[in-house]
Amino acid sequence: MPVPGHVGSDYERLRPDFRVIADPYVTGKRVMVVPAIRPDVAIVHAHLADQAGTLLLEEREDDALLAQASRVVIASAERIVPTDEIRRAPSGVRLESLHVAAVVEAPRGAHPTAVRGAYDLDEPHLLAYMAAAHDDVTFKTYLDRHVFGPVTWDDYLAAARPA
Amino acid sequence: MTPPSESETMAVAISREVRDGDTVAVGTLAPVPAAGALLAHLSHAPRATVLIFNHEDYWPFRQGSKEFYDYAQRGNFDLFFLSGGQIDRYGNLNLITIGEHDHPTLRFPGGAGAAMLYYMARRVILFRMDHTPRIFVERVDTVASPGTSPADIVRLGGPWKAVTPLCVFRFDQTTRMLAVESIHPGVSPEALQRRTGFPLELGAAPAVTPPPTREELALLRGRVRESLAKTYPRFAETVFSSP
Repeated sequence: MPVPGHVGSDYERLRPDFRVIADPYVTGKRVMVVPAIRPDVAIVHAHLADQAGTLLLEEREDDALLAQASRVVIASAERIVPTDEIRRAPSGVRLESLHVAAVVEAPRGAHPTAVRGAYDLDEPHLLAYMAAAHDDVTFKTYLDRHVFGPVTWDDYLAAARPA
Repeated sequence: MTPPSESETMAVAISREVRDGDTVAVGTLAPVPAAGALLAHLSHAPRATVLIFNHEDYWPFRQGSKEFYDYAQRGNFDLFFLSGGQIDRYGNLNLITIGEHDHPTLRFPGGAGAAMLYYMARRVILFRMDHTPRIFVERVDTVASPGTSPADIVRLGGPWKAVTPLCVFRFDQTTRMLAVESIHPGVSPEALQRRTGFPLELGAAPAVTPPPTREELALLRGRVRESLAKTYPRFAETVFSSP
């Protein structure tokens, strides 16, 4: 895909997969082209989903684009609802189920980040994560408590609650 | 009235660069440019189109960042703001690595849209909230986006000004280098040179940035602060003086 700019930057040197070609159409000037990214798997979190995997995604993010670029899409959603509720939603981006391989209900599933209109980011948690990430020992403690320890989603939410 | 803080002086300097009718966009992590754009919109540039990343009143895009980038790529922005881990006298920006690229001493998050926006926005104001010789360098270690380009590349714009806590630079289109336009009140030419990593031509009596007026400060500390709090709550709370 062509991208404006970039030519003359160190991306030319650092990214041999970024090529510079002559614009074959209008200007004839040099333009950078980059390979499309095709992720194997995209994991997206939706406002709503139905049982077939139709998603209502956040309209200010690029989740719908990411999902369509990827070979396999796994979705979580704040709520699983009847299809009608997704059709009637006043905002959000609808992604048809044919793009989606699996869907699971996960209320507060964006934690510790936010879902617009539903809940804010968990700032104390993110600050604790940043502090823990400074060294391997404290980071392992974090992972054990929040990633490897919880067995169910309820376990995760319980561990995420401030002590 | 409390005298202006560094951030307030910068926001006012930025607001004066906004022309009425401009389409001016402000990206992420840029509360001072956002304050400057809002101040301009509420004073001398009521017909400007102001876009502030994810601000509920100033961000119309509903098709993700793709819509924003596509809109920018069409050359629709008259004014945009960029920063860099290093900025050099030629207007080159480094958002990639410091030191040897494969064994860096510091790695930044990457250029993101800067390598496109620096070319496709008509005027770009560079900004930094600190001004040190490690940031304003002779040559950046890695060029994420160059200040100037040869004529055989599509480039609609580029560096226009640079605003820091110490001064305003303008980008001289003839020398293709940053030149001091004005020094902020209370900053000595010696201090400015000491804190800049490349030689400056300051002359006998360099111009002084006109200080914020009472009206500008009142707007900043009132309606601008109120609006900015919707997207930068902590900044709005801590950076502005009381009205």
